[in-house]
Amino acid sequence: MKFSLNDMARCLDLPVSTVDRWIRQGRIPIHRSGNACLFKKAVLEKWAFNHSLPFFLPNEKKEIYKEQNLGLTNLLPAMQLGGVFHDVKGDDVESVLKSAVDKVPVLSINKEELYKRLLEREALTSTGIGKGVAIPHPRAPLPEEIDNPLITTCFLEKSTDFAAVDDRLVFVMFILLSTSIKIHLHLLSRLAFCVRDDLFVEFLRTYPDTSSFLSRIADCENLLDKTD
Amino acid sequence: MRILRRWRHPASWSIFRLDDRLLLILIAVIVGTCSGLAAVVLNRSLIAMFEWLHHFRHYWWSFIIPAIGAALSALFLDKIVKEGAGHGVPEVIYSVSRYGGLMRFRSSFSRLISSCLTIGSGGSAGPEAPVVMSGAAIGSNIAKFFSLNDRQRVTIVGCGAAGAISSIFNAPIAGMVFSMEVILGEWKAENIVSIAIASVAGTEISRILQGNQIAFSHRLFHVGHLDIVACIGLAIIAAAASILLTRLLRSMHGVSKKAPFPIWVRAAAGGCAVGIIGIFLPIVLGEGYHPLRTMIEGAYAQGIGIVTVAIFAKILATSFTLGWGGSGGIFAPCLVIGSLAGLTYHRGLILLWPSVSWVNEGCFALLGMAGLISGMLQAPLTGIFLIVEITGSYEVILPLIIVSIISTTLCHYIEPASFYLKELVEKGQLLRQGTDGSVLSDLSVQELLEKDCITVKQNMLLRNFIDIIKQSHRNYFPVEDEKTGHFLGIIHLDDIRPYLFNPLMYDAVVLGQIMDTNVEVVYLDDDLSEVLRKMDANRVFSMPVIADKKFIGMISKATLLDKYRKELMVQTDL
Repeated sequence: MKFSLNDMARCLDLPVSTVDRWIRQGRIPIHRSGNACLFKKAVLEKWAFNHSLPFFLPNEKKEIYKEQNLGLTNLLPAMQLGGVFHDVKGDDVESVLKSAVDKVPVLSINKEELYKRLLEREALTSTGIGKGVAIPHPRAPLPEEIDNPLITTCFLEKSTDFAAVDDRLVFVMFILLSTSIKIHLHLLSRLAFCVRDDLFVEFLRTYPDTSSFLSRIADCENLLDKTD
Repeated sequence: MRILRRWRHPASWSIFRLDDRLLLILIAVIVGTCSGLAAVVLNRSLIAMFEWLHHFRHYWWSFIIPAIGAALSALFLDKIVKEGAGHGVPEVIYSVSRYGGLMRFRSSFSRLISSCLTIGSGGSAGPEAPVVMSGAAIGSNIAKFFSLNDRQRVTIVGCGAAGAISSIFNAPIAGMVFSMEVILGEWKAENIVSIAIASVAGTEISRILQGNQIAFSHRLFHVGHLDIVACIGLAIIAAAASILLTRLLRSMHGVSKKAPFPIWVRAAAGGCAVGIIGIFLPIVLGEGYHPLRTMIEGAYAQGIGIVTVAIFAKILATSFTLGWGGSGGIFAPCLVIGSLAGLTYHRGLILLWPSVSWVNEGCFALLGMAGLISGMLQAPLTGIFLIVEITGSYEVILPLIIVSIISTTLCHYIEPASFYLKELVEKGQLLRQGTDGSVLSDLSVQELLEKDCITVKQNMLLRNFIDIIKQSHRNYFPVEDEKTGHFLGIIHLDDIRPYLFNPLMYDAVVLGQIMDTNVEVVYLDDDLSEVLRKMDANRVFSMPVIADKKFIGMISKATLLDKYRKELMVQTDL
């Protein structure tokens, strides 16, 4: 096969100067002819494997990059997946969570187990972040149970005492289930950005219907992306 | 025209690209032949010169003949080919370890001429090292002609050295072993093949042109058990002589460097001294092969006193010749000193225990030679094989091994680096493959550059800087001047962390105020070992790299380890 030196360096994931020097010193089974690198694919692959160096042909490599560049899920798709529920019943933290967990629209999750984990996290410190909002979530991400992160929004029938930081009664919960810590932090920070805006909390207090709620979230995210 | 162009680049001929090993073997034949020829040429011209000057030997002023020769040789090296004096083997080793065996074309003949002048006129030095240098340079240039890569070129340089030694001594195995043990410093199957071929080619050339003669023929020796025990003492004497010679050569070099005269005057002074010694003890003059023959035949008539004095005289003469600017090797002087030491020891033994029937004194002369070569070069195998081959006496192999090994060990104990390597080790230039030094010297700063740092301007407000921190993966932020783009200093996140959470500071501070301007920087052509030393001294893990006063990237220990490991793997197990 024949590659330019730059392509060759990209295939081996090394600096051009290193590849150039290795060829000059005869350390790598490649022949130089002008700026072109001549090599046998099988020989080079074996050599790279023996020296635990990466070797990808350019088209193979793109796929890997694609996977990495999938990026992080934003609030809107997670919320669409998780669903929005009104009038969730319950008098205290346990019963509210119990009925909220039943509404989580994913079949692959063991509801009993999830409920237990949420309570466990709640026992550490309250997830009530103030202004009447709580974000219950399990302590560790659930990469095996779910494929995509989701947020289930529950407007409560009765405001409940979550022992929140500002001692105000919680009227809305976002149950945040994520597949990795990174996504968890990403979603949590976006959610916190929305809740910091008092107008948004006022809007939540009107118990909006699902479609207007989601469109408001979309607006907030646009704003967030702009400031980034 | 096209055909012509193809001729200019033999590396692109399809026949040579069939198989690399075949190509190497073919080139090894060529190189072995050429360096063998070089050796024969030097040998012949030495004999011619010696005979021509022989007529002048009996004049009273004959002591200035070595002076003229040494001065001419120094002038030739200094003014015409512009190379340093000395025997050249360290230069070959350095070029092999550092530049992949790259050598100048003129090196392939410069030492031949200069050493011919020095030795032919009577200077006490050997023709072997110059021939090794020529052979190596011939190999290097032929390898360049075929555009071989560094690893192959190193092998071919080894071939040149092997061919030269094989040819001059008519000793193919010694040539191979010398090349592997001293020049390349590594034993690899792929090297051995080509070097063996070159040794054969070199030896064959010498046999065709000069006949197949063993350099120092002798009678058969009958080595007894007591002789083997006695040779331990000889090894100690040989080691002492080697160390004396090494030290004296180096100190002479130091003394002559301090002398405020041009180099050819110094060489002439050294030559004069040799000439004066030569009036009283003619054995010290020249490479000394003729007296060597008499000694091995056991026909050297002088008494123990004169022989002992001759050892010191030869050591002194060699240091005067080589240390003061003459040109030549230490191989032949080593052989002479060694055989003199052997004779002295043998005569001493007879004096002490006259009733014991010792083996012929020629045998001890031969063992002494092996001891000196092994001790000076710290290459026991070279000593053993060389002596076996040039004397054709396999029956003394047991004491030979013992003397060589003990002498090498003793010398290594007192002088950790051999005579050839000492200078290189002192300058930190000895870089054998796969060692820390060679890995570090192969890697360059350019290859380790990390370009993912975000540069900031010096008049930027801290508030804007916070946004940049959000996007960055790194803890270092180099600061540039707005107009010139010159590097001014660096901000390390650790240093400014306390202020990051104080919003009052956001608009009050510009980056120019909080950057660290007193940073050690690295330049593109810096040595990595030096960079590492700086990192350790300042206890930092990353340093900015500057080219043309501008920041171009960071260099960090983490990346260095990653690259270092890759380099080490690639260097060692091929």
